[in-house]
Amino acid sequence: MLDTIWFVLFFGFLMGAVYLLIALGFSLICGVLRIFHLGYAYLFPLTIYGTWFFMSELGLPLIPSIVGMVVVQLIVSYLIYTFMVKRYMDDEMTLLTGLLIVALIVEQLAAWRYPIQEGVYLDTTLMDGIFQLGLAVAPKQLVWASIIALVMTALFALFFIKTKTGLAVRALSQDILNSQFVGLNVEKLYTLTMMLVLIPVIVAMLLIAPIWTVEPAMGWQYMTTAILIAVLGGLGNIKGTIIAAFLIGIDHALMCFVVGEPRFMTLSALVLVMVILIVRPQGIARSESIW
Amino acid sequence: MSEILTCTNITKRFGGLVAIDDVSFSIKKGETLGFIGPNGAGKSTMVNVMGGYLKADAGKIILDDVDITKMPPHKRVHEGIARTYQIPRPFPELTALMSVDVASICGKNRKNQSFEDAAGDATHYLEFVGLFSKRNIIAKDLTFFELRMLELARALATTPKVLFIDEVMAGLNPGEASTAVKMVLKAKEQFDLTIFWIEHVMAVLVEAADRIVVIQYGQKIAEGTPDEVVNNDTVVEAYLGKGWRNYA
Amino acid sequence: MVDVEIKRDRIVIRAKGKKWDWMIEPRYWRNTMYWTLALILFPAFAYFLSPGLVNTMVSANIYAAIAIPLSLMTVGTGRINFGPNFFIGVGGYVAALLSIHMGLSPWLTLPLAVLMSAFCALVFSPLVIMAKGLYYVLLTLLLPLVFLEVTFIWTGLFKGDVGLFGIELLFDLGGAKLNFIAAAYISAAIMLIFLLIANKILKSRYGLIMAAINDDEEVAHGIGVNINLVKILTFIGASAMIGVMGWFMAHYFGTFSGITYLPLTYMLKILLVFMVGGRAQIFGCVAGGYFVAFLEEFLIRVMGDFQPVAFPIILLILLFVLPRGEGLFGLYRRRHYREYMPQIHVRR
Repeated sequence: MLDTIWFVLFFGFLMGAVYLLIALGFSLICGVLRIFHLGYAYLFPLTIYGTWFFMSELGLPLIPSIVGMVVVQLIVSYLIYTFMVKRYMDDEMTLLTGLLIVALIVEQLAAWRYPIQEGVYLDTTLMDGIFQLGLAVAPKQLVWASIIALVMTALFALFFIKTKTGLAVRALSQDILNSQFVGLNVEKLYTLTMMLVLIPVIVAMLLIAPIWTVEPAMGWQYMTTAILIAVLGGLGNIKGTIIAAFLIGIDHALMCFVVGEPRFMTLSALVLVMVILIVRPQGIARSESIW
Repeated sequence: MSEILTCTNITKRFGGLVAIDDVSFSIKKGETLGFIGPNGAGKSTMVNVMGGYLKADAGKIILDDVDITKMPPHKRVHEGIARTYQIPRPFPELTALMSVDVASICGKNRKNQSFEDAAGDATHYLEFVGLFSKRNIIAKDLTFFELRMLELARALATTPKVLFIDEVMAGLNPGEASTAVKMVLKAKEQFDLTIFWIEHVMAVLVEAADRIVVIQYGQKIAEGTPDEVVNNDTVVEAYLGKGWRNYA
Repeated sequence: MVDVEIKRDRIVIRAKGKKWDWMIEPRYWRNTMYWTLALILFPAFAYFLSPGLVNTMVSANIYAAIAIPLSLMTVGTGRINFGPNFFIGVGGYVAALLSIHMGLSPWLTLPLAVLMSAFCALVFSPLVIMAKGLYYVLLTLLLPLVFLEVTFIWTGLFKGDVGLFGIELLFDLGGAKLNFIAAAYISAAIMLIFLLIANKILKSRYGLIMAAINDDEEVAHGIGVNINLVKILTFIGASAMIGVMGWFMAHYFGTFSGITYLPLTYMLKILLVFMVGGRAQIFGCVAGGYFVAFLEEFLIRVMGDFQPVAFPIILLILLFVLPRGEGLFGLYRRRHYREYMPQIHVRR
């Protein structure tokens, strides 16, 4: 009994931390740009397959490939912002459908060029071997991933609380018009946010690439989790997202260890989110701000 | 004259802020009750509570011997309450005729009313407020004054017993404002209504209202005929601040 | 005694003391009679040209017949449902499972598929009341994805990625070509029935109430509309209609697999029919359905392997190029006079 509780807490924490990285970007985009980036799913396959592209087609070693992939991601993000988000800010239907199509295009491109049988593998292991705490056993990579996730989230929170740019972004998320009145360069801040959001996702994907499955359609699964966490935590609120990420992590761990059916993970998360939304429709967050 | 709407001990809190604090009053049938107070006193909150959009934390509302405290907004409309909004909220994509049409169909449980009958009904109300020529124009394209008139027509089409008017003159130039006031009084006479009138402009209420209730910071501070209220020291203090006598 | 009189611009029918005028639309491109005739003649015509075209026509009818209830649901609830294929899954699986395990004929599985879709819609109907705008979009987006998970969880029953085989076909007329034609007519009939139902509803008093809810729910609540009842009923009704399409596809193809209909790819196709056809214009949905189906077919023939990549790219281009807010319908309406057009509201 105690063992099970420990397993649930341990793995809930590990998974929750990784989910936090994934959901952080989605929550931030929703909170700051006030658009639902339904195309968020494209980030996941693009990270993996972008790096793989540089490695296999151009023969570059790992680090330059990662750099190349980051550059590609920044360019794509900028293009999406300029040609889609800016033009269709007020026509949400077109924007949402367009973003979804982008995610679909990336997925189909990856599937066409690197079908599942290709055996894409990124050796981004920081530390081999397994880590044991009590009776719980996990790959050291996963533990590192969660530690880095927490550090990263802390950095983000500090960015938003302590720096001037962070304050500007927070102001932007509250009221676009007033932000322009006080002289904030809305354009630059939006572009900055869209690029900032890439960082946690890229880091998360690179870290978990060796230990979790990689396939062209991987984006949708992660996006589902990101959406559930973001909605549960209150869109755009970091504190809420943190709590929600660990809640969902623990929920998944419960499904694995207590109920014994890992396949119920997403379904149980959905039920949990719906139940909490009935009780508290705005999510866990206490306020409609970023922090 | 009997009481048609009675509010007893209404309290509404938003977290720590008490927006309405134990307010009670009643309106007699056929009366015009003015409702005034400085900005932020809780006037619009009161209308929202009486209309059913907000749940009162305490108190009862009784309309014509029916307890409507727990009823959702649409049931209250069926019982006989209608409201206009401080900033007009039309149906942006619908034409004027269609807007009033919906009110005519859904305002009460009407028997034997076909779709065409409702449209005919709606044109009568549009004609009454003077918008018949604009009946096929989408609400987005109407001027502000016309939107106010449309709000009035829409509220009247539900054949209410009590009509809540929320600052009908806000945003109108003097000519339009006086037309609007005249329209409200004409409606009251023609449709045999009781009016609950929130207003900032005292001059209008002094003439049009039978009684006035004054609230400040969510509490009722005075009630009486316009003359009584205008000369009430507490009321003047609420508007002008303590020590107004030094400058009087 | 029914007396029919054909005049130059109308047909007058007199029966039992009543009189009906049926105006004949002189503009041939708006004349529903001509279009229905074209719809009826097309399969027979295509049969001799290339049977594959009949298949495409069936796909087109299916897309249109899913987009029409989606339009109805959008106007009636004031929100846009991003997961209509959830109900396709429900209807299809009910039909497939009942047909395989209990041997029921297609006409018996139909009412059961409809009932199950309606029941699932009832279960999820609190979404329509509690969730607004973008929250609603997100949660409805998740429904088919989670259902897909469920089919993988209970693989024994749903046969996860392999799919269910051996569903009884609607018609077995001996030849594949004849089956195609029969299916084409049935699918066209279903689509036309849906079109008729949706049109009647939208033009009646209920359509007006739905338009009011679509525009401003709170205000509608304040003039006496029972918004929760109307929204829930629209949600359940439209979902049942979508469930019928699931039923049809199960019995038409003989197989049903969640992986074909539940992922986002299929949902995007339907959303694009909806948007390309002109948002909430239900006649535009038909045009959109045919456009998307024939485009898909054309791309497969021309590009083969690359089609899954090219198709979304072209759809993306279309999305940007077509007139905003009106899709193909906007190209047709050259005179943009101001009249009532239901708008899609996503953000509140």
